Amino acid sequence: MDFGKQLERLEAIVRRLEAEDLDLDEALKLFEEGVERLRGAREQLAQAELKVKKVLEIEGLER
Amino acid sequence: MGAPLDLFAAASAEGAWTVGEVTRRARAVIEAGLPPLWVRGEVAGFKAWRSGHWYFSLRDKSAQMRCVMFAKQNYLLPAAPTDGMQVFVFARPSMYEEKGEFQLTVMELLSTEQGGLWKLAFEKAKAALTKDGLLDPARKRRMPPFPRRIAVVTSPDGAALRDIQAVVGRRWPLAELIVVPAQVQGAKAEASVCSALNRISRLPVDVLIVGRGGGSVEDLWAFNSERVARAVAGMPMPVISAVGHETDVTLCDLVADLRAPTPSAAAEAATPDRAEVLAHCGVVAQRLARGLRVSSRRVVERLSRTGDRLTGSMQRRVENSRALLTAHSARLDALSPLRVLARGYAVARDDKGRILKRVAQLPEGKEFRLRVTDGEIDAQVKG
Repeated sequence: MDFGKQLERLEAIVRRLEAEDLDLDEALKLFEEGVERLRGAREQLAQAELKVKKVLEIEGLER
Repeated sequence: MGAPLDLFAAASAEGAWTVGEVTRRARAVIEAGLPPLWVRGEVAGFKAWRSGHWYFSLRDKSAQMRCVMFAKQNYLLPAAPTDGMQVFVFARPSMYEEKGEFQLTVMELLSTEQGGLWKLAFEKAKAALTKDGLLDPARKRRMPPFPRRIAVVTSPDGAALRDIQAVVGRRWPLAELIVVPAQVQGAKAEASVCSALNRISRLPVDVLIVGRGGGSVEDLWAFNSERVARAVAGMPMPVISAVGHETDVTLCDLVADLRAPTPSAAAEAATPDRAEVLAHCGVVAQRLARGLRVSSRRVVERLSRTGDRLTGSMQRRVENSRALLTAHSARLDALSPLRVLARGYAVARDDKGRILKRVAQLPEGKEFRLRVTDGEIDAQVKG
């Protein structure tokens, strides 16, 4: 999953946990999802290796 | 000066010359006698033809001469000279036979004014871009916080690409670097950069770096081309320009969403720092744990509040019932026959317990029992 979206969702979860009056079941579910996303984000950060792609040059373009 | 003498000798031998012969000979003499040279003068009567050729005069206080600069020579210049401009030209003196005019065929033209033609072209293009609102600071877009794809338009074997790759690899290796090689200097640079930009505009890219190392004004010229500037302004994603260094601001720098002094700085601006993001993840993890604690504490509080309410309502119910009971028992009490007896009434009943309410039930001599408030007595009807 895209890192930016992962972090965004994680922060939304934290905000809900902090601000809303949730029942225990829901709070636990959110917490679990948060932990999962956190793990995913950290894994992405730790394992990433830069991929470089070269798009071929377009030759022979003259004015 | 042997040749002109021979020329005159030949003329006298053949009688009158034709115009064409004179001009042809004059041309040969001029071209043989005056090799290509640098000439300094002021431009006057400048005219650019649709064919792309330029015609103008060069003059000083005492004289002037016609000049032509053909399209195949002048297309390398960033702009046309204007009347009154002081220039140096490298030209081949010749004769334009059809008009019988002495003429300079210009191969190179340099302006002696501050910054020369480059500066002039820059200011012209900048004015055009400003007019179209492309330099408006409000157009500047923000960089995406976590870019997935970063495109780079630069020379495939320059230091710029190596620097960018190193910085992105260190700071944000989650990204994919898409390199679109382009010629960044020379006659084909403008077209090459434009076609690279055009290519990227159709790719799903989050941010674009256009860059090259420093160079002379001429080397950077592609990034001062109005065409390149307009292409940069039209890119669908934010663009970071890293062309030249601190001192050379190009048009490309001006229209880009962000200007970086070097390709490395551009790569830094395009990426978050992995170490910082990891630290941020730690903070979020703490908040997550605290969030759960807060959430569960809330649940416990709500539970105990609900318990209290339950007990409270039970108590109220019991109290209500008790009050009701008291009321009922008072009413019951009021209706009790014993209360009536207490007020002085008595009840007569026969031996079977039936209540005797009428005279007919009580003939003379009838025995019955009389209930008063504190007990019962036997009685008999007398007379």
